[in-house]
Amino acid sequence: MKKLIRLNVNGDDHELAVSPDETLLGVLRGPLDLIGPKRGCDSGGCGCCTVQVDGKAVYSCMMYAVSAQGRDIITIEGIGRDGELDPLQQAFIDAGAVQCGYCTSGIIMVAKELLNTLDNPDEDEIRHAIAGNLCRCTGYQKIVDAIKLAAAAS
Amino acid sequence: MTLPALSDYFIPEQQSELIELLQRFGENAMIVAGGTFVRGLEARGLLAEVEALIDIGALGLNGIAADSSGVSLGATTTLAELKRADFIQGDAAFGAVKDALACPPVQILNVGTVGGCLAASAPLYDVPATLLALDGTAHVTGAGGAREIVLTEFFTGLFENALQPDEFITALRLPVHAAGTTSAFLKLETNANDLAIINVAVRFTLDEAGLCRDARIVIGGGVGECYVRAGGAELELNGTKPGDDSFQAAAAAVAADIDPVTDHRGSEEYRRYMAVVYTRRALARALERLR
Ligand SMILES: Cc1cc2nc3c(=O)[nH]c(=O)nc-3n(C[C@H](O)[C@H](O)[C@H](O)COP(=O)(O)OP(=O)(O)OC[C@H]3O[C@@H](n4cnc5c(N)ncnc54)[C@H](O)[C@@H]3O)c2cc1C
Repeated sequence: MKKLIRLNVNGDDHELAVSPDETLLGVLRGPLDLIGPKRGCDSGGCGCCTVQVDGKAVYSCMMYAVSAQGRDIITIEGIGRDGELDPLQQAFIDAGAVQCGYCTSGIIMVAKELLNTLDNPDEDEIRHAIAGNLCRCTGYQKIVDAIKLAAAAS
Repeated sequence: MTLPALSDYFIPEQQSELIELLQRFGENAMIVAGGTFVRGLEARGLLAEVEALIDIGALGLNGIAADSSGVSLGATTTLAELKRADFIQGDAAFGAVKDALACPPVQILNVGTVGGCLAASAPLYDVPATLLALDGTAHVTGAGGAREIVLTEFFTGLFENALQPDEFITALRLPVHAAGTTSAFLKLETNANDLAIINVAVRFTLDEAGLCRDARIVIGGGVGECYVRAGGAELELNGTKPGDDSFQAAAAAVAADIDPVTDHRGSEEYRRYMAVVYTRRALARALERLR
């Protein structure tokens, strides 16, 4: 049995028929074709599915799509404006913080919440904020540098 | 579909509706608050029988209210809301809760709820250990009306608790603590975001003579089916002057109070040893908070 739900993603309303146990991640990557959020562990440990729901970073693999109705969902695809990259995206490029790229969108989405709450996070605050996101390439240093760069630029 | 028996997903707006759903689906109903534990069970194929998922987010059970007798945490209050709450910021008595809330990743804090972390009934979690040490009481409601369950009686086994199938948690209540009360929490883990190898929540009150009273020492992690109240260690601490000697003696008594498990995270021997070390450190941390 499918359920008809309405989701607001990156400012657009969508009406979709979903299986009641479908996750938000499944709907984003499936019918909505937003493949920025990645499927990694699928059980809330790796962080690469992170999106924002009502301004808060969440693991989209851990939220049922039905429960995401009426919330303001933003994915990595929704943070740039008018063809311009978000300052965090630009900082990740400038700092060379992207290697394979699989973790990048999740880390940018969690960093966005951090920079919305703290203007000038220190190294500890940055490392703490990204503790729920795994990166197997960079050793995190350049990611931390990129977030600092974005904080300084904003 | 990963929930083969699932027939529908409900979002009740009234508690009476929730009770009806719980009665109708019985053991095959699954409440979803933040869903972080539920999804974990689902990913492990443990929810094959579930027929109804019931999101309780529209019941208005969120919010924190403090009054002269204590603090009430609505069941769907998120861990992030609790972390930001005024009442825990400067008060040494709630230090343990603050310590434990430094553990989960922000993505879990943002959606995981007070009711969910209790009802999951996993002694491997951190936050509930602290709520136990602070003498929390679960307020629950069901077909038979409302009742209160002190947390020491709430957890009955691994993933098991004293809730009837038609009951749910509405709030968690923490009593006011006497002046001079302090608490702390420490977790031993293999890496960030892992379940505790062992964790320790302690609380005590310094009386007017400067002696420890009303001690609570709760050990979680790989200690078996439920959190353990280290009663022998609490007795050892009560009436003593706080400091290295009394903390060492109380912590040593923890070894006899617990019966840890051996698994890939650590052996029984290692856990027993580290529970002693972490208890001593947690007691010192709690004392430091009063200074
Ligand atoms: C990656 C990850 C890291 C974590 N790290 C930590 C950590 O460091 N420290 C820590 O303490 N915890 C940690 N946790 C555990 C986390 O705290 C819990 O998963 C969370 O609090 C559960 O809350 P929830 O609202 O998501 O519960 P749900 O998944 O919605 O529910 C949990 C259980 O409780 C039931 N339930 C929920 N609400 C009620 C209610 N009001 N009445 C009755 N039954 C109810 C549900 O049916 C289910 O059985 C972590 C979890 C994950 C996935």
